[in-house]
Amino acid sequence: MRPIERDLQRFKEIVRGEVKKRAREFLTREELLGQLEGRLVSIPLPQLEVPKIVYGEPLGEGPLGAGPGSEGLGPGGHIPVAELELEEFLDLVGEALRLPHLRPKGEGEVTEEALRYTTIARKGPRGLRHVRRTLKESLKRSLLSGHYREEDPRLVPEREDLRYKAPKTRPRPHAQAVVLFALDVSGSMREEELGLVKTLSFWITLWIRRHFPRLERRYLLHDAEAWEVPEEEFFRAREGGGTRLSSALLLAEEILKAYPEAFYNRYLYHFSDGENWQGDTPLALEALGRLLPGLALYGYAQVQGPYGQGRFLLEVEEAFGEREGLRAVEVRGREDLPLALRRLLGG
Amino acid sequence: MRKELRYWAERLQERALAEGLTFPPVLFEEVGPEEMAMLAAYGGFPRRYPHWRWGSEYLRQREVYRYGLGRIYELVVNTRPVHAYLLKGNTLLAQKLVMAHVYAHADFFQNNLAFRPTPKDMLSEMAHHAAYVEKAMERHGARSVEEFLDMALSLENLIDPHAPYIQRPEEGEEERPKGRLPVRPYLDPYVNPPPEPPKEAEEGASPRPLPPKPTRDILGFLAWHAPLAPWQKGILEIIREESLYYAPQAATKILNEGWATYWHTKLLLPLLNPEEALEFAELQSGLLAAHGFNPYRLGYFLLQEVEERWDKGRFGPEYEALPLGERLRYERPAGEGRRKLFQVRTVHTDISFLEEFLTPEFALRQRLLAPEDLPRFAEAKQALLFRLTNLGYPIVELLDANHANRGELYLQHLYEGVELDLRKTRAVLENLRRLWGRPVHLKTVAAGKETVISVG
Repeated sequence: MRPIERDLQRFKEIVRGEVKKRAREFLTREELLGQLEGRLVSIPLPQLEVPKIVYGEPLGEGPLGAGPGSEGLGPGGHIPVAELELEEFLDLVGEALRLPHLRPKGEGEVTEEALRYTTIARKGPRGLRHVRRTLKESLKRSLLSGHYREEDPRLVPEREDLRYKAPKTRPRPHAQAVVLFALDVSGSMREEELGLVKTLSFWITLWIRRHFPRLERRYLLHDAEAWEVPEEEFFRAREGGGTRLSSALLLAEEILKAYPEAFYNRYLYHFSDGENWQGDTPLALEALGRLLPGLALYGYAQVQGPYGQGRFLLEVEEAFGEREGLRAVEVRGREDLPLALRRLLGG
Repeated sequence: MRKELRYWAERLQERALAEGLTFPPVLFEEVGPEEMAMLAAYGGFPRRYPHWRWGSEYLRQREVYRYGLGRIYELVVNTRPVHAYLLKGNTLLAQKLVMAHVYAHADFFQNNLAFRPTPKDMLSEMAHHAAYVEKAMERHGARSVEEFLDMALSLENLIDPHAPYIQRPEEGEEERPKGRLPVRPYLDPYVNPPPEPPKEAEEGASPRPLPPKPTRDILGFLAWHAPLAPWQKGILEIIREESLYYAPQAATKILNEGWATYWHTKLLLPLLNPEEALEFAELQSGLLAAHGFNPYRLGYFLLQEVEERWDKGRFGPEYEALPLGERLRYERPAGEGRRKLFQVRTVHTDISFLEEFLTPEFALRQRLLAPEDLPRFAEAKQALLFRLTNLGYPIVELLDANHANRGELYLQHLYEGVELDLRKTRAVLENLRRLWGRPVHLKTVAAGKETVISVG
């Protein structure tokens, strides 16, 4: 390895360590939320800066132009910003938070054609020329024709010797998934709770997509009625009337018909403060009972509203107990997020 | 190197020599962007001691190139012979420009006084340093050496840039008995026993302060006096030596780049064919762009100004006595321009160069200053010079290494009106305390009041 590669590896190793160390912090960092959609994640890591005694205020532009400031000796002088591939970043955070790995369940696999350059062809573009195979052919020919001389083993490939790498299609199994987010927007959900929900659903989406690259997302809002919205409208704070949790579950049931269980890993997340209309709870539990067997996971996150504690969490637990494919958690504040996230992902 | 490039290198070299530049042999090498990124990260050298920050810088350089945010056209290293790297794939004209530029840098390295004490075999020095640190890592563990490096590098700027010019008696020489017998190291303590420790009475009688005078060479002081393992002292010396090597380059950035730009223009212009003229103009305008602080631009135009002034006799007491308006029109045939330029190249660093030649006339003509701001010229110039002082770093001295007779370090920041970044300063003092093993104090000004920051 070239020495610079060694230094680069070491730098990356340190960055990975830092990311893992600060995973909890990243989890709640709002500014990361929007940014993670891209392929690369830039993470400023001032901890990786070698501190120096420098001036506090920047020696900025004077009328005669700025000086070199504290650029100082030799190269460098910037705060390291680590850029990581999103997948790697997620894996590191996932590892640090001990997020569970999702497994495609059973039949839910579709296949996709993938090109692999695994065969050899006699024709092809220059860039794909297979040097070793070409020389091998050339050697064969010169041996056969008796032109090969050991004292001068030069090989001059002729047109017929040329060999090229060639693609072969190969079906690759591909799991797909659908995730439904349902959000209770009744009067009692406030900005702060919405912030927690936003953070949770963001990381849930990333983590599920980490495992199922073909992921579809649907978003529902509900108060006493449920309706579907596009993603960007999902988190706009608004106040509605009362709450019927069943409305969301029934709509979810309806929507999921388009995603047959045999082909999709189906996830349903429901965020609410848990204050349901008394008469609605049996209906909701009944709908849930029908849904559960067909879901990879139903996650219910109950955030604490300003008017005390809702009861739906308890009612769900009473009705279904602990069972695979059902996770109900309570989120009181930011500090609950890592654990809640792990639970909601099935951990 | 390609034949065509070699041909042009020779022609440009002839022209440079004919114009009076003097330089050691220059070795040009064409390298790809990856290798250029590596060399840039390593400060121009193919080998440096292992450290993650090179990796970080390498990554950044590669990214900058990949996304087209900038490219390094050239890297030139002050060694003997001079090594210069050209970016593969640049146009022939760009390479010619860079080669002319490099010859002027080579001349600057050889003739500017700031580079007098610089060792010329830095290529092998750097390789020795690399081997030393690698060996230390083998013996003492990569992580513990890295941790020590991280700590020590935060003191990288605590040097005295003038140290190489100062003649000092060898440290501790006077303590050494005259008749030392040469023996193998492990026998030395027996054959040449250390001098008796001073008796308590004597100690009280002749308190020798440590350091005897305030010193800015804090890295050096630690390397000689801190209670560290030999390999740790060795690393401190390596960092100090490399800092001292780069210091004159930072201190002459404006002048050196101005000089090289002046000469590549002079050498190349007469050789351009019509097709190349447009490309040259584009490259040149990019190089001399006026956004932000551009050392190429400032240096180049100020040198041109000096040449013009000394050609037209705009110097001397008679000229100085004129009011500003008349100075701009004054002219007498002197023809001293070229001679003056060579003198400037030899004796100045950025600070003295600007101090002496950055005049209100120049600032007006270059539109660095609006005419109504003229009364504030002196102040603005002072601010610029301050930013260049001590390479832009605060000046910190070590006053006493036995503060309060408790072996504590006492440092002082020479406050000039700008306060320190306290968070970073504190982090550095922590490192200093770990190296020295005793509490450390720094006198400075914070929030407008004189303060002593202590880390114990």
